[in-house]
Amino acid sequence: MFQRFDRVLALFVALVAVSFFLATFDVRAGGSGIGSVMRDGTQALFAPFQRMASSVTRPVVGFFDGVVDIANLRDENDRLQRRVEDLEPLIRDAQELQRRLEELEKINGLEPPGEVSAITARIFSNGSNDFDHVRFIDRGKQHGVVIGHPVIDDRGLVGRVDDVGKSWARVRLITDPRLGVVVRNMVTNETGWISGQGDGPLKLEMFSAVEGASEGDLIVTEGSRFPPDIRIGTVLKAAESVVGFSLVTEVKPEIATSQLDFVKVLVGWSPLASSPDGSDDLETIEGDRG
Amino acid sequence: MRPSALPIALFLVIVAVVIQTTLFGEGRVQPLGASPALVTVVVIAVARHLEPEPTLLVAFTGGMLMDLLGASPLGLWAISIVTVAYLTIRFSRYFDRGIYWVSVGIFALAFLGNVVFSIIGTLFGQRTLTDSDVVGLMLLPALYSLILAAGIFPATARLIKRQRDSIWRS
Repeated sequence: MFQRFDRVLALFVALVAVSFFLATFDVRAGGSGIGSVMRDGTQALFAPFQRMASSVTRPVVGFFDGVVDIANLRDENDRLQRRVEDLEPLIRDAQELQRRLEELEKINGLEPPGEVSAITARIFSNGSNDFDHVRFIDRGKQHGVVIGHPVIDDRGLVGRVDDVGKSWARVRLITDPRLGVVVRNMVTNETGWISGQGDGPLKLEMFSAVEGASEGDLIVTEGSRFPPDIRIGTVLKAAESVVGFSLVTEVKPEIATSQLDFVKVLVGWSPLASSPDGSDDLETIEGDRG
Repeated sequence: MRPSALPIALFLVIVAVVIQTTLFGEGRVQPLGASPALVTVVVIAVARHLEPEPTLLVAFTGGMLMDLLGASPLGLWAISIVTVAYLTIRFSRYFDRGIYWVSVGIFALAFLGNVVFSIIGTLFGQRTLTDSDVVGLMLLPALYSLILAAGIFPATARLIKRQRDSIWRS
C-alpha cells in the first residue's frame, strides 16, 4: 500500500517538476524555441479536427445564443428605441461633418486606414480556457500573415497576431491584460495607453494629459504599432487631469468579443516596429515608464 | 491491471480538449461569462477506471494539450490537471460513499484546478489574477463541471466497460 502511494507520489512530483521546467523554459524562450515548435505541430495536427468540431457545434452555439438572448431581447429593444430617438439629430450633424471631412481629405490627400490591404479570416477556436483572451483564425503564413499584424472587424480593433503557423494564427485580443495599445482621444487629441482587464472594460491611462476625458469620447489607435485612427472604444467615465498624476479611466470596447466570427487581418501594415514576441508589450512600456 | 481502459481514456481526454477549445469559451457556449472545465471532469471520470500511474500520465497529456492549444506557457494546465488527478487518486475512496461526496469532490477538484492554474499562471506572468471577474471564473466553471459530470461519469463508465467486454470476448 505504502509502496504504491510512494510510486504515485514520486510520479506526481516528477510530472509537476517537468511541467515547471517546461513553463520556465517556455517563458524564458519568449514564445520561440522548442515550445513554439511543439505548439506549431500540435496546432497543425488539431486544426482540422477543431475546424470540423467548430462547424458541427456552430448550430449548438447559435441555439444557446438564442435561448440566452430571448430574456434580454425586450429590454434591449426598448433601450435601442430610446437610443435611436436620441441619435437621430446627431446623425444629421454627422452627415454634415462627413461632407466637410471628405472635402478636407480631398484637399490634404489623406488616405484612410481602410486603404491598407487586408485578408478575411474566420475564427475556429477560442483558446483552452476562460483566462485566455485569444482567438485562433484560419489564415497563417501561407496567406501572408506574420506576428504583429493588426486584426480588425467592422466595429474596430480586435487585437494583434502574436503567434502564427502555416495555415493558422493566434490573435491576442485587446481585452487581454498583456496587450497594450497606444491610443488617442479624438476629442481632446491627448495620447495615452490602453490595456485589457479580461472580461471588464479596457483601462485607459494618460500620463501627461493636459485636458481630461469626458464620457463618450471616442478613443482610436495612435498609429505607432497599429495603423492610425482605428476605433477602439468610448470613454465610460469622465476623468480630470491632475498635474503630477496620470489620468486613469475606463473605456468600453467597440468590439463585442463574444460575437467575433469573421475578422480582417491587415497584412499590408508593416509590423516592423513591433516586438518579435508580441506578448511583452505591457512589460516593455512599464519598463520604459520606470 | 486494466490495459484496455488506457486507450479509451486517452481518446476521451483528446476529444474533451477539442470540444473545450471549440464549443466552450467567449463567443461560444459561456453562460454568465464562464465555461465548464470539461477536460478536468473527464480526467476525474477516467481516474475511477484506471490505475494511479496511467491516470497521472493521461492527466499530464490532457494538460499539455490544453497548454499547446491555448495561450498559456507550456506546463501550466499540466500542473493544474495533474494535481487534480493526484488528489482524485488519493481521495478515491470517498467516490464510493454516495452522490453527496462525489458532488462535493467534483466541485472542489474543479475549483482547485482553476485556483492552481491562476496562482501558477500569475507566478509565470500570465496576469490571470488581474482579470476583473477572477472569482467568478473559478467558481462558475466548477459548478458547470459538476452539472456536466452527471452525464460524463456514467458515459465514461459505460464506454470503458464496453471496450473491456469486447476485448474479453475476442
